[in-house]
Parts: sequence; C-alpha cells; structure tokens
Amino acid sequence: MESETTGAGVHIFGVRHLSPGGAQHLLSFLHEVEPTAVLIEGPSDATPEIRHVINMTTKPPIAILAFTEEVPVRTALWPLALYSPEYQAMRWAEQQGAYTAFIDLPSSVVIALQDIRTKSRDSAEQSEESEVNNADEKAPEEASLYDRVAELAGELDYDMYWERNFEHNTNKGAYQEAIISFSSQMRQISEENERHNNVIEYAHNTIREAYMRRQIQDTIAAGHQPDKIVVVCGAYHAAALVDLASGMSDEEIDALPSLNTKLTLMPYTYYKLSSLSGYGAGNLAPHYYQMMWERMMNDSLEDLPNHYLSTVARYLRNTGTHRSTAEIIEAVRLAESLAALHGGSAPTLRDLRDAALTLLGRGELSVIAEALARTDIGTAIGELAEGISQTPIQDDLNRQLKRLKLERYKTPVANDLELDLRENRRVSSEEAAYLDLNRSFLFHRLRLLGIDLVNIRASGQSSATWAENWVVKWSPEVEIQVVESTLLGETIEIASAYVLQQKLDGSSTIAEASALIRTAYECGMLHQMEAGRQTLQRLAVDTRDVVQIAASIHELSLLIQYGDGRRIDTKPLIPLLEQLFRRASLFLLDASQCNDEASGEMLKAMNILNQAAIEHSEEVDELLWVQELKHLSERDDCNPRLSGVACSILLERNAMTAQQCSEEVSRRLSPGIPAELGAGWFEGMSMRNRYVLLSRLSLWEQLNEYINSLDDEEFVRALVFLRRAFSTFEPREKTMIAELLGELWGVNTEQAAEILTGELKEAEAKMIEDLNEFDFGDI
Amino acid sequence: MSQELLQDIMRLPAERLYQHELVALRKADTGKVPAGWQMSPQSVLKFIVGGKAGSTEITPKYIGNKRLIEMAIATLVTDRALLLIGEPGTAKSWLSENLSAAIYGQSGLVVQGTAGTSEEQVRYSWNYAMLLAQGPTPEALVKSPIMRAMEDGGIARFEEISRCASEVQDALISILSEKTISVPELGKEMSARKGFSIIATANTRDRGVNDMSTALKRRFNIIVLPAPADLYTEVEIVKKRVREIASSYDLQAALPADEALHKVVTIFRELRSGMTLDKKEKVKSPAGVISTAEAISLLTNSMALAASFGNGELTDEDLAAGLQGAIVKDDDKDQLVWREYLDNIMKKRGADWRGLYTACKEMN
Repeated sequence: MESETTGAGVHIFGVRHLSPGGAQHLLSFLHEVEPTAVLIEGPSDATPEIRHVINMTTKPPIAILAFTEEVPVRTALWPLALYSPEYQAMRWAEQQGAYTAFIDLPSSVVIALQDIRTKSRDSAEQSEESEVNNADEKAPEEASLYDRVAELAGELDYDMYWERNFEHNTNKGAYQEAIISFSSQMRQISEENERHNNVIEYAHNTIREAYMRRQIQDTIAAGHQPDKIVVVCGAYHAAALVDLASGMSDEEIDALPSLNTKLTLMPYTYYKLSSLSGYGAGNLAPHYYQMMWERMMNDSLEDLPNHYLSTVARYLRNTGTHRSTAEIIEAVRLAESLAALHGGSAPTLRDLRDAALTLLGRGELSVIAEALARTDIGTAIGELAEGISQTPIQDDLNRQLKRLKLERYKTPVANDLELDLRENRRVSSEEAAYLDLNRSFLFHRLRLLGIDLVNIRASGQSSATWAENWVVKWSPEVEIQVVESTLLGETIEIASAYVLQQKLDGSSTIAEASALIRTAYECGMLHQMEAGRQTLQRLAVDTRDVVQIAASIHELSLLIQYGDGRRIDTKPLIPLLEQLFRRASLFLLDASQCNDEASGEMLKAMNILNQAAIEHSEEVDELLWVQELKHLSERDDCNPRLSGVACSILLERNAMTAQQCSEEVSRRLSPGIPAELGAGWFEGMSMRNRYVLLSRLSLWEQLNEYINSLDDEEFVRALVFLRRAFSTFEPREKTMIAELLGELWGVNTEQAAEILTGELKEAEAKMIEDLNEFDFGDI
Repeated sequence: MSQELLQDIMRLPAERLYQHELVALRKADTGKVPAGWQMSPQSVLKFIVGGKAGSTEITPKYIGNKRLIEMAIATLVTDRALLLIGEPGTAKSWLSENLSAAIYGQSGLVVQGTAGTSEEQVRYSWNYAMLLAQGPTPEALVKSPIMRAMEDGGIARFEEISRCASEVQDALISILSEKTISVPELGKEMSARKGFSIIATANTRDRGVNDMSTALKRRFNIIVLPAPADLYTEVEIVKKRVREIASSYDLQAALPADEALHKVVTIFRELRSGMTLDKKEKVKSPAGVISTAEAISLLTNSMALAASFGNGELTDEDLAAGLQGAIVKDDDKDQLVWREYLDNIMKKRGADWRGLYTACKEMN
C-alpha cells in the first residue's frame, strides 16, 4: 500500500492527464494526506497563472499556451478540462490554502527542446525515407506498443483498454498501485527501445525528470515536510521521481537551451481537445468524460450508460428522428452484453457507441453520427476573465505589419495603398523586391479571416493582374476580430489555412471550389491550393453541368497562365484542367439539348472550352473536343444555334472543308426545314468570328439559294430570325454582307450602297414595324 | 452418411462442414454457456473469426471487422433478434449460417423470403387431408421453421426479409415481441423456449421494394456488414475463394497472379468507394453492384476463359473482358464511367498497368 511514499517521504501520484478516474482518486488521496504543498507537472514559469486558472470566473476547458516571439511561431499547449486531475488538484489546494506550483521545465526550455527534437526527427525521417519507400506504412514504435497491450488484453484499441482497466477501477488505492506498476512496466519496455533507437527522446525525459526532482528538493528546502508534499505527474514519470538524489544543479539549469517565449491562458474548446493526438494529450470524448466525472462526483457512475444513450436518443428526437425508450433500454442491454463479452464490469465508450449504432442508428452511422459527436465531444467553450488572454495571433499580426513596413497604416484613418505585385528590380534584397506581393498575401489572408483591417477596391482603369488597390483602416473592432481568430490558429497563416480548409470542406459546387482555389492562390497558400484541387476534382466527378465546368476551366486556365505573377507554381492544376476538359467534352452533346434561353450560357461555355483547347493544346484532349464538336454540328436533335456555333468553330479550326461546309449549309437551310431552325442555326453560325464567314462566298450563295426557295409566309418567319442573327453585326459588316449578296444578285456595289444608306420609305418602315409584332404561333 | 456420399454433396451446411471444429470448441469451452446455447459466446466468436481450440485449428469464417461479430453475438445473448444488412456479396447469409451452426448446432431452419412467401410459412399451416378428416389436431399442424425453432429453443434464419410482402413481415412482429404463436384452432399457445432467436438478412439494394416497417425494425438489432475494409483484406478474401472455387470446379487454368488480383481488387474498390485508394481523386461509381463476390466470379470466369479458349494463362485481355462485363452492366452511363476511369486514373498508373489499360481501352 505504501507505494505512494518515497524514499524522502514525498507522495508521488501518477495520473493520465485528462482522466476523470484519476481526478477522483487524486482528490480522495489529497483529503487523506492533507499536504501543505501540491506540485504539478507543468511549465514552472506558468505558476503565477495558477491564480487565474482557479479564478471563479474561469470556466474550463482552458489551456496554458506558450509561444515564441520570433517567427516561425512555435507553441506548446497544456490543456485543462474540468476533469483534469491537475485542475482538480489546484482547486483543492486553493480551498485548503496549500501551496501550489508547476515543476516541469519552463516553457522557454520546453519549446527550445521541442525544436531540437523536431529537427532530429525530421532528419531521421529523411534518411529513413531514402532507404524505405513506404514510409507511411510504419507506425511509430510507441503507438504500436500501446496497441499491443490492448490486443493482448483482448480489447480493440488502447482507449478501450484504458477505460476498462483504469477509469472503471473505483477501488481506492488499487488505482494508484495499478497505474504505477503499469506505467513502470511500459516505461521499461519503451526506455530500453529509446536508449538505442531514440536517444533524443530518452535524453528529453531524463532532463525533465532531473529538473522536476530539483524543484521537489527546493520545495522541501523551503520548509515543507516531505510527507506533506504531493506531486501530481504523468504516470510515466512517477517511478523516476521517487528517488530525489540526482536533482539538476544550477549550472545544469543555466546550460539548458532556451528561446524567448510568452505565456498566456486561453479559452479552449472540447472540439480542439478531442482533435489533439498522442498519448496523454488526446482525449477523444471530452463531453463523455465530463459526464463520467459528474456522475463520479455524485456517486451514480452506474447511471452513465443510461444517461449516455438517453442523451444520444434525445438529441436524435430533437432533430426529428424518433427513437423509443424501448430501444434505449435494448441499447443499454446490448452495451452491457458487449462489456460482458470482454469480461468488463461496465460498458466502455466504444461499447456504448456500438450499441447506439445498432439500436438507435439501426445499423447506420450516418443517422447518429452528429448525435454521437455532440454527446462524445460536446460544444463546450472555456471562459476566462477579461484581459487575461494575450494571444499569439495578435503578436503575429504586429510582427507581420512591421516586417512589411505597414505599421504607419495602423491608424483609424483610412489610407489608400496601391500594390504592384511585380518584382521591384531597383532594390537589392529579395524581401524588398517582393514587398508588395507579400503585402498582398497578408491582405488577402486578413480578408479571408474576416478581419476588417483592409478592403480591396476594384482597380480602376487597368485590369492588370499585377496591380491591386487596397484601403487600410484600423479600428478597435479589428483588434477584437484578431483576438477571436486565436482559436483558428496561432498565426495569421495557420488561421487562414484553417478557415480555407473549413470552407473547402463545406463547398458543394465546383464554382465555389474553383473560387476557393483562386482565394488560396491569392493568399499564397500552396497547401490549400492542393486541397482545393482535390475538392474540385471530387465535386467535378458528379457534375454534368457543362456551363459550370467551363467556368471552372476558365478560372483554372487563368491561374495556370498567370500563376507566376504571384510566384506560385500552378502546374499541379494542369491534370485537373485536363480532366475537367474531358468531362465537358463528353457531356457537350447532352448539354446541348437545351432551349434557346439556356443556349446563351452554353455558347459562352463553348467559347471558353475552345479557348482552353487552343491555349492548352499540349495538355488537353483536343482531338476529343473536335470530335464532339463534329457530332454536335451534325446532330439535328440538339439546339440548332449550338450546332451552328459548333460548325463555325470547326470552320475556324479548319477542321471542316469548304465542301463539307457548303453541304452542311444546304442541309440545314434546305426547304422543308422549319424556318426558325434553319435561321437559328445560321444565327449560331454567325455568333463567332464574322470575318471567317464573310470571306467564304460559297456560304452566302447557299444562304441566297435558301432565301429564294422560301415561300412568302416562310420568308417572313425566316426574316425575323435572320434579322436577329444579323442584329449584332456592325453596320460595316452589314454593308459587306449586302454587297456580297448584291454581287450574287447582279447589283453593283454603288447601287447597293445607295439603297442601303438611303432613307426608309414609309411603306418599308411600316413593314419593319409589322415584323416586330410577328406572331410566332406555336413556337 | 459415408464419406464418399458426403463428397458428392454439392454444398454441406456449416455444422457438417466444420463439425470437428465445433466439437473441439465445445470440448475446450470454459466460459459460461447461455441457456439454449451449445457453447459460450467467446467460443462462438472464436468459431467465426478463427483461432485455436485445444490443438485444433479453427479456420476464420469471416475475414474483416471482428467487432461486428462481437456485436452480433452480444445481440443474440440478450435474446434479441438480429438483422444483418449489406450490399449483395458481403457474406450476410454465410455469417447467419455459421452463427446458427455454432450457437444452435444446426443452420437448417430457414425461411427464404420471396415475393411469394406467405404468412403460413412464417407461422404454421395445415395438412389439409388430415384437417378435413379429423378437424384441427396437433398432428395436422404443419409448423414453420420459426415455430420449430421456438419449440426447440434454437435459431431460425430468415433470408432476404425485405423481399417479402409487408403483411408477411408484420406476422413477425408479434412473434418477436410476445415470443409466442397462438393457434386459435387448437385453442392453445406455443411459447418459445429459452435460446430462441431469429437471424434475418436483408439486401441494401432491395431497399424500397418492400421497406421494413419501423415497428418491425425496432424489434431487431441491426448490423450493417460493410464491404471489406482495406485492400489487403479484400485481396485475401478473393484469393481464398478463387482458390477454393477453382479446385472444386477443377478449372484447368493457372491461379491468377497476385499482381492481377491486386489490380482487379484495386479497380473494384476504387469504383465502389468512388475514390482512388490514395484518396486523392474522386471517381464516379457505376450504377450496378460491384461486390467482392463479383470480383471473385470475374476472376474465376476469366480463368475459365483462359482454360477453354486460351493457353491456360490469365492474360490482360481475359481480365479486360471480365472487367468490361462486370462494370458496364446495362446502360450508357456505366460506359461513360468506365471510360473516364480508364483515362483519368488507369492511364496514369504507369508501365505496370499499361497492358491492362490498352486491353480495356480496345474493348471499350
């Protein structure tokens, strides 16, 4: 039993950091020992923050945050939930008036060491990758160790093992013993491995523990009785703190690497807490553990399964999915039966979730996914007294403004700022040469975050891609918006990447997705451009809307061509362009079976596609495009205007001979074809490059023959369409057509011009007037 | 029945096929056996997912998510009825047969759900000659498999429950909640003995044909059997089954190389999930079913092709013919899907895939 007393008599209590079971056992232990000093594993320079942590207005979850003052911003985080043993220990000490302190390495050292570890891990990974191709198939050694433990115990994962063996262990004293023996055995295995394979990790733990031992020694020296000191630390370290002999000396402390850091408390969310990973840090179901903690506190832990499943069912009912009480009862029974299958006394979270899936979800996760997330993770957001939080993102913005020489714009007066994104060749450093480009990146990111420091103005006369006009104005609201962005990320860059990712995940049309790719491009965020590419690709697979696809192609095409304007490699977008182009080509025929109203949009789309086919002829499947155009131009069941457009594109591309063209004209305009179809086709034909048309006399011969073949009534009908077709022609072009036709009719040029430029006679005017009221009958 | 006769039977029920395993498990069983069961839940689990009982090797019957099997067994322990739902070819009936064999010792009490299944097949009917001669007597009563399971405290299986008309499905409601069938003609009630349960299976593709009523669904614990979770598992399943089928039909062709297996399963998985394996690109799924069972029959078909009309070696052309048939089932849409897949995904896979790509492209 006396495993808690150490050589020096100091009580060491090992816990898992976010564990209601640990918190409960720790509290009863504290009541028993009644220490005068409670020492907690945590950054020692954060000790002054403890009074804010236990302040009445503070509501967990909160986190102690340390961050560097230089870029790149590195951070370290110590989250605390209501059920954290550390938090409960601080509260207890406050009530009993005991001394409380953090005893782990100060944050400045933690971050400096973290830096060293990341670097060595990166270089280790690089060398490994060159040897083994499949780097991602290897699981970290430590994780596999925990998985093995779970497997040996017949559990599906480590969380399940932990909950069943430790959280459910309400046996006083047994908990502490079990956790110490478990973690010391785990430690032996992993230490052995680390000593050989991961020296840095081993050294890191050694340093931390030596420092903690020194802190405990200091506390004893300050007059606390050793047996009135309780040390709360991760179970992993418990064994190493028993023997205080080798505490760190002053010289050694001075020799520790260190970076300038700031410390602050920040409100935290259960959502963030659940998405952290790694042993001890991660806590997949904070709200579930909170429910467990609350039930532990009023001695009704056996109610937890009922409560959990009822909560899920209640949420389902509130959102319109009815589930009966009988089903909840059966779910509880199933959960208990699952627990019994593993020899457990109470269902674990996994058992409860699976029971909910089977009964409440009727086998389908999608039905209950949201209800489970609400119940497991919850939506709790922590609170802190005003003014306590000094966030790294505020720091980051100020640093960026300084770096980009924008500090003088930090005034409540609106200032115009014109940016020239091109390289400034008159300056020496690269930083200065691209100053405006970097400013533009920052401004676009701020806009993305909804921070109203800047506003873009449409650039006036030139639509040049290298010029941007901004208005910069500082206000107190801006400051608040910046602080609110803390939860999104520690720096402007990280936060905007997060926001963009959220938007990408929520985008449902390819238009949205391509706009977001553009945003990523403007913000200079390469990684999100790739994510955007994937999102767009995913959405594009399901869309059959050629107009939308063409719009995306247009955006992508621009980015690919002008990408280097922002010094961003847009080549990765090319395969997507290819794919979209192929899809648009394949669905061209389908989409062309539309009415005249929709054909306007399609016409634009076809122009874009043809443009893309020309500009990216190396990449896209031009053959397919031409082939589909041919089909379209030959088909009679598609919109005649679009068939005409296809025909004129083919003419321009010389994919159609004069012979074929005249055959097509005579087929389209042959007698018997309803006038509106023939004229509609011609209208489409004339919508593109007119000079190509004007230069082909044979075409006009066919048109002439066609007009001659019409009887009077048909002629009036056709006239309406032909008039519309020619309405967009410029006067000069109209004159050219008239002259061409005049030649065919044997009228010489001067005569024709005379008639055309002359005043309208009254009768002629009336005839034209009448056309405006033409009754299209059944069209 | 003698050993030779056994070999001539096309398909043995699970309790006969794995008789020695069941015996060994019962012998080695140390757990608590629920009323009406033949062995403890832990042993049933071992029978399905494989392991060792004493010195006897237990072959895995279901490769995949072990947790689902745990949930199924835990359901039956709580005397609830079990409903297995899944795409065609996800081993629903196979699992239901093996569960019944392990828990009850026989898997033959089956009601096959069809559009023509009547209420009598769920409850009871009469031997009409005896009924006319003697009036309603217990001897004239013809019990349904479900009624026999109730009487015996065993497990009845109900296959393809969603194919039955809804009034037939409704007949199950009172059986499952009251656990009795009343026979008013005889003036008595037949109550189920402990251990009675029903394992039903239903097909997700049949959804909407005769959708199950909420009242009935509520009486089942529903477990959805997924397609195999990862490439490796699926390749293993396909490999195992193709080998078994090839030997039982005596196919005179070489077993498909691992590489060909990998390719087929990769294509199937990608089209089924609508996502490339590296999750980087989405692909369009065809309208038809592309299950693991389908991959198995594709490969055995291709083997038959190679054996009968080729040199016994599986070529890319044989595979391409099989793929075309399996993926493009009926309409033009599937054709488009397959074409886009070929050009967007397969074409870019490099030299290893070149042969198959060309063969498929020619076929398309």
